[in-house]
Amino acid sequence: MTLFQFLERFQAMDRRWVFLGMAIAIIVPMLVPINFEFSVDERVQAMYDEVESLPAGSTVLVSADFDPASRPELEPFFRANLEHMFRRDIRVVMVTLWEFAPPLVVPILDEMAARHGKEYGTDYAYIGFKPGKELAIKAIGENIYKTFPEDPRGNKVASLPIMQGFKQAKDFPLLVSVSAGFPGTREYVLQIQGQYNLNMISACTAVSAPDFIPFYKAGQLKGLSGGMPGSAQYEKLVYPDGPPPGVRLLATQSVNVLNLGHLYIILLIVLGNVSWMLTRPRDVAAGGKA
Amino acid sequence: MATIDIAGAWVSIFLTMCIFSYLYDDNPIYKMAEHLFLGVSIGISTVEIYFGAFKPNMLDKLYNGQLLSIVPLVLVLMLFLKVNRKYSWVARIPIAFIVAAYAGVKLTGQAQSNLMTQVSQSMPDLGQLWADHGMWDWSADGAGVFSGLFLVVGLVAALLHFYFSAPHNRPMRMVSRFGVMVLMLSFGASFGYTVMGRISLAIGRVQEMLGLDRPAAEAAAIHPQVASVVSAGVVIAVLVAWRMQQARSAPPADAEPAP
Amino acid sequence: MKRTVPLVLTFFVGMFMIGEFFIPHYQYRLITADFLEWGVVLAAAAFVLGLFNLLQVNLPKVIRRDPDWGYKLLMLVALVVTLVVGFAEGSARQEPGHVYKWIYDAMFVPLNATMFALLAFYIASAAFRAFRARNIDAAILLVAAVIVMLARVPVGESLPIVGDKLPQFMNWLMDVPNIAARRAIFIGAALGAVATGLRVILGIERSHLGGE
Repeated sequence: MTLFQFLERFQAMDRRWVFLGMAIAIIVPMLVPINFEFSVDERVQAMYDEVESLPAGSTVLVSADFDPASRPELEPFFRANLEHMFRRDIRVVMVTLWEFAPPLVVPILDEMAARHGKEYGTDYAYIGFKPGKELAIKAIGENIYKTFPEDPRGNKVASLPIMQGFKQAKDFPLLVSVSAGFPGTREYVLQIQGQYNLNMISACTAVSAPDFIPFYKAGQLKGLSGGMPGSAQYEKLVYPDGPPPGVRLLATQSVNVLNLGHLYIILLIVLGNVSWMLTRPRDVAAGGKA
Repeated sequence: MATIDIAGAWVSIFLTMCIFSYLYDDNPIYKMAEHLFLGVSIGISTVEIYFGAFKPNMLDKLYNGQLLSIVPLVLVLMLFLKVNRKYSWVARIPIAFIVAAYAGVKLTGQAQSNLMTQVSQSMPDLGQLWADHGMWDWSADGAGVFSGLFLVVGLVAALLHFYFSAPHNRPMRMVSRFGVMVLMLSFGASFGYTVMGRISLAIGRVQEMLGLDRPAAEAAAIHPQVASVVSAGVVIAVLVAWRMQQARSAPPADAEPAP
Repeated sequence: MKRTVPLVLTFFVGMFMIGEFFIPHYQYRLITADFLEWGVVLAAAAFVLGLFNLLQVNLPKVIRRDPDWGYKLLMLVALVVTLVVGFAEGSARQEPGHVYKWIYDAMFVPLNATMFALLAFYIASAAFRAFRARNIDAAILLVAAVIVMLARVPVGESLPIVGDKLPQFMNWLMDVPNIAARRAIFIGAALGAVATGLRVILGIERSHLGGE
């Protein structure tokens, strides 16, 4: 077999071999972890500092807009952020705009609050899910009591102790958007961040991060965490000495698995292009496509 | 840990394997899982939407005597008439309402945040940049006068690339070419982030199958690695049986083609 | 009348919602708050309409025993069971120990997550078979992608010689060319959205009203 023939067969290889390689690139580093140190991005540090600057007793509005598909990227940040806020005695009011989020995010909120002995209604509250996308966000900007008349536990939102004095989004000193897509951070920035000059930070999936960097640079976002590395960096800031017993830092555990995955993709790109370039002149000479 | 929760974890791992079987080929066990997913997800959406919007923002208010909530009820009933051929025109009114509401909020939002703010932030203060970072400052990730100018020139060039109202002359084509290169840098960066995002999702699934996302006590009760092996075995057995059945029902290789 | 009334309504509601951005008077805001609430309810109703359509399309296929009717039946059974359980358990449905929560954790979570996890494998296949540096633009794209992929993971920072500069160069890529390109796209999209919004509100764009 000539080199040319080998390269042609290599390019036409059944893609299931590529899938198998990807599976190995994910499983092996999980079973045999090799941990490299990583540094913290300026954008993630800014996020952390924004929460740190809040005085104890402040109330923060968290919009948890993610589903199980984006859990590996965002749940670690969500947990670390709640830990950070509860540890500093910051009160948390949570809403969501995604219909698949509540069964996922509400148990996490309850778990993190219980760990810190927080009381529902006074130290934290989940006031509900609202469909309607941009309209729901505008409604949150205008009148939270009208938009969320009751929380899922049947309490009148306007009479919850934690909600006293917080009728509109602008009454909160900080809005945290944990966003996996639409609606999420972009819609909050477009609809109410500018109109009410909200202080806002965002944790988003890696796919969205390049889109939200202009918002960060323009000052519309005060901090930004993108994907699993962003979540891992935030975990590093919240747990500088490592996690306490019973706490798993899933992003920190997983971020080093990305090493081999990325190297595998880079190898595939290089091999694919090299084999294509070496076989290309004969394709062109034979009248085929370049 | 309760038996039902252990059973749930095993079902979860089995369904994960069913979906992963698509990597081999589109097959009955994947189709079963896919249709189960459709049914469950639409059911969950409907339940959450009822308890998230219909009940608190309409039905409870009507029940408490807030008569203005009759308006959304009437609009909703008008919208449901869309399924009837004779009266589907009635649904135009609630559709007009909602389209107009979305158009109004999107218009101001886009104009304020995407247009005004982004344009205003694109005018770099070159004097300040020179004072803070000089021409290029590695310690500030390349901030400086060069980057400030690159950003403005790149932005204008990319905008010019999307200008189709007049034919591009030679200078415009050169600038547009630079704009395309800037766009390619951005899309390449996007692709890098996308790869990272996609692999992260697969990492999450593998973590569950290996039991690495649970506390040790829970993992010891569930035996997720055993569940993964058993599920993989069942899925492989189904795939083998399916392939054998396909081979049996395929026409012989030397059969005459149908007229 | 069948088209005029919706068009007039589109204009007034659209202008009211534009005014919401500029007019902070509390009485104006009372009206727009009601509009927003009704819009939220209508958006929910539109979803339910989709549910009716799903039943309208799939139920006859099951009754007629069309090809793949078994899968459609499974889908409908799963839908009905989830609905019944969800409505029956009511506000307690999301608490541990309830069937709705079990369905969510045991079925929805793995199915939803794994559907998206498949993309990791397809992106690997695409990287090998489709991502070709056919011209200078594609080559720039691929080089930028490789730099970002290396720099975003811990191993990139540990590379000899380039390890220190790689994250800094990646940050420059994200902070300068990426922002230039994204802003151009945002500005173009914003202009388009403003134009389209105005067309809808002024009644020039009428496709949302359908035929006749």
